[in-house]
Amino acid sequence: MARYIVRRVLWGVALLVIVTAVVFILFYVLPTADPAKLRAGRTANPQLINDIREQLHLDDPIYVQFWDYLKNVFLHFDFGQSYLSQASVKDIIFDRLPATALLVVGAVILWLGIAIPVGIISAVKRRSLLDRTTMVTSLAFISAPVFWLGLVALYLFANDVGLIPLFPGQGSYLTADSFLAKCGSMLLPWMVLAAATAAIYARYLRSSMIDTMAEDYIRTARAKGLPERQVIMKHGVRAAITPIVTLLGLDIGLLLAGNAILTETVFNIPGIGQQIVLSIRRSDLPMIQGIVLFGAFFIVIFNLIVDILYAFLDPRVRYQ
Amino acid sequence: MRLRWLRLLAPLAAVLAFAFVLTSCGDSDDESEGTGATGSTGIPEEFAAPTAAPDDAKAGGDLVILNEGDIDYMDPGAAYYQVTYMLDFALFRSLVSWAPDATTDPTPDLATGEPEVSEDGKTITYTIHDDVKYAPPLQDQTVTTADIKYAIERSLLPGVANGYTSTYLSGVTGMDEAIKAAEKNTTEAPDISGIETPDDTTIVFNLDDTSSAGVLGALSLPVSAPVPEDYAKKYDAEEPSTYGEYAVFTGPYMVVNDCVDDETGEVTDENCSGKITGYQPGKEIKLVRNPSWDADTDFRPAYVDTITFQEGFADPTSASKKILDGSSQVTGDFPPSPTVVKEVASGGQYDPSQMIVTPSGGTRYIALNTSEAPFDDVNIRKAVIANSDRVALRNTRGGELFGPVMNHFIPPLIPGFEEAGGLEPPEGLDFLASETGDPDLAAEYMKKAGFKSGKCEGSACDITMVGDDAPPGRDTATVFQDQLEQLGFNVQFQPVEHSLMYTKFCSIPSQEPDVCPNVGWIKDFNDPQAFFDIPLYGPAINPSNNSNWPMLDDPQLNKAIEEAKLIEDPEERAQEYGELDKQAMALAPFVPWVWDNDIMVRSEDVNQVTNLFNGLTDVSFTSIK
Repeated sequence: MARYIVRRVLWGVALLVIVTAVVFILFYVLPTADPAKLRAGRTANPQLINDIREQLHLDDPIYVQFWDYLKNVFLHFDFGQSYLSQASVKDIIFDRLPATALLVVGAVILWLGIAIPVGIISAVKRRSLLDRTTMVTSLAFISAPVFWLGLVALYLFANDVGLIPLFPGQGSYLTADSFLAKCGSMLLPWMVLAAATAAIYARYLRSSMIDTMAEDYIRTARAKGLPERQVIMKHGVRAAITPIVTLLGLDIGLLLAGNAILTETVFNIPGIGQQIVLSIRRSDLPMIQGIVLFGAFFIVIFNLIVDILYAFLDPRVRYQ
Repeated sequence: MRLRWLRLLAPLAAVLAFAFVLTSCGDSDDESEGTGATGSTGIPEEFAAPTAAPDDAKAGGDLVILNEGDIDYMDPGAAYYQVTYMLDFALFRSLVSWAPDATTDPTPDLATGEPEVSEDGKTITYTIHDDVKYAPPLQDQTVTTADIKYAIERSLLPGVANGYTSTYLSGVTGMDEAIKAAEKNTTEAPDISGIETPDDTTIVFNLDDTSSAGVLGALSLPVSAPVPEDYAKKYDAEEPSTYGEYAVFTGPYMVVNDCVDDETGEVTDENCSGKITGYQPGKEIKLVRNPSWDADTDFRPAYVDTITFQEGFADPTSASKKILDGSSQVTGDFPPSPTVVKEVASGGQYDPSQMIVTPSGGTRYIALNTSEAPFDDVNIRKAVIANSDRVALRNTRGGELFGPVMNHFIPPLIPGFEEAGGLEPPEGLDFLASETGDPDLAAEYMKKAGFKSGKCEGSACDITMVGDDAPPGRDTATVFQDQLEQLGFNVQFQPVEHSLMYTKFCSIPSQEPDVCPNVGWIKDFNDPQAFFDIPLYGPAINPSNNSNWPMLDDPQLNKAIEEAKLIEDPEERAQEYGELDKQAMALAPFVPWVWDNDIMVRSEDVNQVTNLFNGLTDVSFTSIK
């Protein structure tokens, strides 16, 4: 197992280098706004633009820029400075990470809390009215775009503009000054982000449970006289949940990498997703690079965690 | 059998019902309601901007400004954005500034009064207050004229990259040499020999020509906010300068730093570095009272205790409603959506006085590339303008309240506007006479251009257009594309991201398409020179950051622009620029379509005061009821 983990970590580092290279190349190959011109302003002369370009090292050959960047990141943990605010990229990311992390953790707890019981019950009581209702509802939530759900939630339930003012609304995270207040400001975003994901997970778990409950060893367990609850929870769910664990690892990694863009934008949560939108709009390469690297890091880490968890969940899985 | 039909019909009925509801909703009328244009700005009286605090305005309270984006720079030497100025006018005292109702003459700020201008117009002398102190960490230091001189000099450094100093202060003696020195030594501010400080309270600007109007205008911007050299030079030595993270303030407010309490502004640490902690890029800027500020030396009353600039509100509809339904809030950098504008204007749920409409001093136009066929032919350009339904173009931004249809270049409230025709087009320019388009007249111009059918024909009519890929810019481009195609052009439209549109296409002469539909120009200060020095001046065309998008290079117009900026008498200047405007419009370089209005909403408990200089909230005059 230890050798397996070390091998995965080394592959993870290699992947991060490749991701960095790809972002570099994309930034230079695909048309992007010139950060030197954006900084210089509308009436700046060419000399000033060249001077700024020199200052930002944008006139260095791309491989020199890339090598300098890699050295700074891997040797000094320095991700450079934002072209816009000159603030440290690392500081900005760490400043915004808590908001994204709180959003993700809360949403994960909520969606698992909904999806697992719903998926289990739907599988066990297949084709019942409850099963049909939950599956149709889940289809509705999967189909609804997150930004639309978010706006509807605001207009219905936000305590400043909603028809039924129940929850803190847009921008309330900015003014929350305690952990509890921050959690309060996340109630609507959690529900919105969890809605579609819970629906997907419920359907996956239902499908997986149906397959698992048809296995021979389940019949054997029943034949041995085990209580049905034990058959379902200890034997059925344990095997059926492995695809969910894979999904969960990917989803957490992606959300921490900035995939909650739409939720953060609708509710004005100052997280990683919101920052990447700002950075792309203003061609702020160091910021884009930094966020992509962090995102890749989270995805690698969480995939590794998931694979390790597999070994505990499924005794057939052993790593060498 | 019956059940099977029901299984089919039920979802079908649901879909039909949904489609019916969908098509019944929505509004086909894009025009915002107004009770009719009034005055020389075209803005209905009920939305007129208050430019003075009420007599019973009281001190205290916390103002919150909601914004979509961020300021551009905290460094006053680098700031070049009207929304940044909204805060800068409260944070930094410049040599001169703008009181809310000032539209022609700036208000003395650090200066004790109007400048002394020599008879030949080439020497401008200011005297400044001798008792204005900096905010912590320099609370024991008094502002001197050397600090103002240094502020202007450091703006030439590439690490500060001020966008307008070298343009508007080009007439100051020694400016060219200073610019060259800054290119050679990029970490030390050069000396501008034409700026002299014979003592701590006197500053003299020596000019090579009589371009004092431009100089005076530029001095009203944050570039003349004092920067103490001893404190700032170590930050300016870095590339780019990090002074913005340690800026020192002189206005009634300051951004929270490591010296003061983030609620009260009281000094908490005498040995602090001055590092700004209240600015979180993309999130929030927190302003508190400057403990060093002396109200007796300032024209600003500064009612509220704190100002919070919150960012990231991407949906203007929900953000506007949050303000209208909430308390102590105003809009910052975004207008309300057309839906909200209409709702407030109709006076139903909200009081119409919660919406304020002000000319922004900005223009929007569609640039036609005059350097290449087919738009190198003035008759074709006139045909395109005559054919354009400019009301339809204006509607893509939301309708009447978003601004009057533009009929010449100088916008409302800028000297020269009335002289150029006011809200009406200049006399004698028939192609601008109709705001909704005159296809017959367009056909006449096309015939003059050699197209006998009255429409464009042949390969000369294959044109390229690069515009915004997101609404409302994309909507404007699409409407204009349709209008061009009605005239016979084959338009290849490439939508791209907004900043890319400028930096890779429209601002690069070698890459510029035939049409740039989403360009515009906003004043730098309240003088018509700010409208002609760059956008229509031939020598201003530059190969990598061009803002003369029509690529206009008319020798007679160029000469007239050079001569007009040397006129000192305000009345004569306004008259001359009015004539210049007519002369420029006669060349038909672009399709003018709207003089932008700034539209803001406020919470009911806010006595919002608008600064007519930038059409935005003047936070130093705004109070909470």
